[in-house]
Amino acid sequence: MTHIEDALVHGSDVARTFGEGAAAVVAVHDAHCVVFPGDHIAVMGTSGSGKSTLLHLLAGLDEPTVGAVTWPVIGTRSQLRPGPVGVVFQSPSLMPALTVLENVTLPLLLAGMERDDAQRQARQALGTLDLEELAEKLPEELSGGQAQRVAIARILASCPRLILADEPTGQLDHATGSHVIDALVAVATTTKAGLVVNTHDPAMAERFPTRWTMADGRLTTPEVCTCSA
Amino acid sequence: MLSVTWTRGLLRRRRSRLVGTTIGVGVAVALLASIGAFLSASKATMATRASRSVSVAWQVEVQAGGDATAVQHSVASFPGVTTALPVLFARTTAFAATVDGTTQTTGGGYVVGLPAAYSTAFADQIRGLVGATEGILLSQQTATNLHAAPGDSMTISTAGLPDVTVTVAGIAELTNADSLFQKVGAPANSQPKAPPDNVLIMPDTTWHQLFDPLAISRPELLTTQIHTDYTRPLPPDPSAAYRKVLGDGHNVELKLAGAGLVGNNLAAKLASARSDSLYAQILFLFLGLPGTVLAGLLTTAVAAAGADRRRRDQALLRTRGASTGRLVRLALAEAGLVSVVGGLVGLLGALLIGRLAFRATNFGGTTWNAAVWITASCVVGTAIALAAIALPAWRDARQLTVTASRAIVGRAKNPRWQRYGFDAAALIASLIVFWLTSRNGYKLVLAIEGVPTISVNYWAFAAPALLWVAAGLLTWRVANVLLDRGRPLVTRIVRPLSGGLSDTVAASMRRQRRLLARGLTIVALSTAFAASTAVFNATYRQQAEVDAVLSNGADVTVVEPPGVTVRPDQAATLGELPGVKGVTALQHRFAYVGNDLQDLYGIDPTTIVNATKLQDAYFVGGTAKQLMARLAAKPDAALVSTETARDFQLALGDTLHLRLQDGRTKQFTDVPFTYAGVVKKFPSAPSDSFLVANATYVAAQTGSDTVGLFLIDTNHSDTIAVAAQVQASVGTSAKVNDIANKRRKIGSSLTSVELAGLTRVELGFALLLAAAASGLVLWLGLNERRRAFAIARALGANRRQLAGFVWSESAFVTIGGLALGSSSGWALTRMIVKVLTGVFDPPPTTLAIPWTYLGLVVGAAVTATFFAAGRATSTASQPAIELLRDL
Repeated sequence: MTHIEDALVHGSDVARTFGEGAAAVVAVHDAHCVVFPGDHIAVMGTSGSGKSTLLHLLAGLDEPTVGAVTWPVIGTRSQLRPGPVGVVFQSPSLMPALTVLENVTLPLLLAGMERDDAQRQARQALGTLDLEELAEKLPEELSGGQAQRVAIARILASCPRLILADEPTGQLDHATGSHVIDALVAVATTTKAGLVVNTHDPAMAERFPTRWTMADGRLTTPEVCTCSA
Repeated sequence: MLSVTWTRGLLRRRRSRLVGTTIGVGVAVALLASIGAFLSASKATMATRASRSVSVAWQVEVQAGGDATAVQHSVASFPGVTTALPVLFARTTAFAATVDGTTQTTGGGYVVGLPAAYSTAFADQIRGLVGATEGILLSQQTATNLHAAPGDSMTISTAGLPDVTVTVAGIAELTNADSLFQKVGAPANSQPKAPPDNVLIMPDTTWHQLFDPLAISRPELLTTQIHTDYTRPLPPDPSAAYRKVLGDGHNVELKLAGAGLVGNNLAAKLASARSDSLYAQILFLFLGLPGTVLAGLLTTAVAAAGADRRRRDQALLRTRGASTGRLVRLALAEAGLVSVVGGLVGLLGALLIGRLAFRATNFGGTTWNAAVWITASCVVGTAIALAAIALPAWRDARQLTVTASRAIVGRAKNPRWQRYGFDAAALIASLIVFWLTSRNGYKLVLAIEGVPTISVNYWAFAAPALLWVAAGLLTWRVANVLLDRGRPLVTRIVRPLSGGLSDTVAASMRRQRRLLARGLTIVALSTAFAASTAVFNATYRQQAEVDAVLSNGADVTVVEPPGVTVRPDQAATLGELPGVKGVTALQHRFAYVGNDLQDLYGIDPTTIVNATKLQDAYFVGGTAKQLMARLAAKPDAALVSTETARDFQLALGDTLHLRLQDGRTKQFTDVPFTYAGVVKKFPSAPSDSFLVANATYVAAQTGSDTVGLFLIDTNHSDTIAVAAQVQASVGTSAKVNDIANKRRKIGSSLTSVELAGLTRVELGFALLLAAAASGLVLWLGLNERRRAFAIARALGANRRQLAGFVWSESAFVTIGGLALGSSSGWALTRMIVKVLTGVFDPPPTTLAIPWTYLGLVVGAAVTATFFAAGRATSTASQPAIELLRDL
């Protein structure tokens, strides 16, 4: 038995509609989901199935039109970032004018950490993912896989409680994508964070103990027994 | 087909970039077309004004053995000649008059005989001062010399004739005495320095009665001129009009076959107008061209703000197989769209500006001129669009790999010119050229009278042009070096705006330094352009005002008629009139310096500045204040002209013996003065030699304190109304001149270039460029980086932190640009004013700073920055996912 109060994120009857009237598109229908610390979840689905929209809702980057998303152990939406919730995007998400080290340091500085402490922590995160030699490189000097691993290091540096990755391997070849997933899992394991990864690659999904499925905006999750305290 | 699709896509997805570049092209086209309109309109105005300002177009002098009547008929039959009247001259040995029991005798002079129709046909030639306007008229100076008044008798002595006595009917002023008594056919440097001192005018019938006997015995003492009016349509361009009038004059001489020589007054006026028109052209080059270049740079900067996006678009097309030629054609389509729309917008803007500023209905004086300016403006607009859009696209397509095209920041290398120090070289070259130019006294226009061609010293343009280049490159270098190597300093500077993120912001600015340095340079150049244009214009207006004050004497001037005794205490009465702020009385006498009769002004050196302005440029060997102090310190001190000081080899402290007329005996008596300095110009004084001395000393030595004129200061209030009140107070005998009327005359004279329209256009564009440079370039730059801000937002940056990034960059660009631009503007203005010394009359001693306008420029730049940064912050503060979805 798991208590909702212990959940990192909880979606209840969540729906998200874009547009209005005849042009309205319902991206997510009545989704129920919950992620606890230590959960490693893969969300499967074809392109346009609503995976990204669901992930954005869980990350607090978007708001549901119906239902509610809550973060019981983290707090309110405004407390999600910088720090507790880290997001990895499919496309490059590094600041182009900052070096790798500065990119990894940025969320820590945004959270108010002192510069020296932030740099030390950022270097540690880069070290954990074997990226120290890239510290002074600019994003445009990195390969796609390196850029995603740096984005993961940036999350690691913030010691998040929930990591949400939207098709992080979508633009990478299989081997590189595999390395990225390894890095994500390693970081989540190290930080005991909940991890949700969107993917349309069944082979990647096989590596996660829990798999959700999205089809036409409808989410299917395994039955999990939860109750309120 | 792909070009159409591509252009449609640009219109939908890259609207900001297209609008920005279109505005830049539009501004350049509008500026060029407007200034073209100014140039054409002012040239046409100059030619028209020149024609209108000449009363007697030609003075055809009948040569020895020539038949005056035949010459008159021949001249009258020339196409365009509407009036041809004979004017008779007889040289006399002396005039004499006995007034109040004393007899005054002058030296040699002229008796001029005029036909009855002359005063109607050439009304501007003679102005009656006292008494009748017809009959025997005595010139003002002669009347003073003889102390004669209407009704007095006077004697004319002529070699070969017995003395003749006539009765003076009136006193008159010969308004164009210089041209009337010119040496017809002689070059300008052989002309008399001043018109004769003694002139008597009489009807031609009387003249014939008195002097016809000389035609046989002493014909060399008589001259006949045919004064003509000429109304043939002239080309609008002063140079063309000059060539035409000069040619016509020669043609008349050819027809007269040696019987007459043409004194071409109209050609002389047009000769001066062609110099002015060239100065207008020079002003265009100095003031208009930098604005057009700046508009081009602005367009390039706007286009460059979206260069990274364009490169990525190109990279995408290349991965889909697009060739270099295809990519260039797409860029050409964009450039074509921008140049057509920008050109149309610019031409419409210019049309509007032309109507508002110049009241010009087209772009030039003629349809041909309009067509030339429209074409030239559009060609320049297209060239700017091609340089800003197509050229970088072609260069990128040829030189960059797909991977490099996708790169956003890159490790910027310093440009080649910076490594080789081209900026320092340009600065040094500018100073050297400036020094070389200064050695010939900044003579830009060389117009030799009688020579149809006119030359401009274009070499002088090199100094300011090089300084513009140096200013731009040096500004770029300073900004670039500061961002690249001065990160600790930049971190400290931006800390108030970005707090704990200051180091990261400084790092980000360092990587964006190409973009930021370019933006800062554009702002700096816009500021320098606005500052230099405004200061130049303000200084020009200041000097035009000085010129008007110099000609009129003060805001209002009362000129007392000759022979009337006016006491200096009348100044107190005038001082009590409403609107009068200060009054000073000036004595106007004539004094012999050796044999040369000169005007002498008796002044009160302690109070003269209460009524008029004295410029340092009026004096040699000290400031105006110092020279007035010298006069005040020594009662018999006198200031003389440069020519007098040179001709008489005077040294400071030398005694100068002048002969002045005694008020009691009416005899010229010797009065000693002490030479105290040189005066070149003085309010109300003539342009040739004159003297300035203490009024109290002159009064004591001559026994007369009679005032010649009063100078009145109205503190620039309604001078016309004050003049009317003064006229009512002093009566109709005195002539009252106000500066408003004088200003109109000076403004329409050919010695000054009409700048009012150009000023309005230039200052308007400078303001627009300064605002666009700071606002538009900044906004587009920030807009292109929305993705970076969205990422920061997704990482948890709040509005204040995002504003830290935006405002740090904005403040750096705007404040840095304004500061460096002000310095460049100061240096450029000093150089331009020096190089364009010939435009100013008199040359300025200090620059006039239009603080209000400069405040407006700073205000416009800061407001535009606030707008751009505010918009960028608002956009960046939107929910990150919305931004990321859109981009």
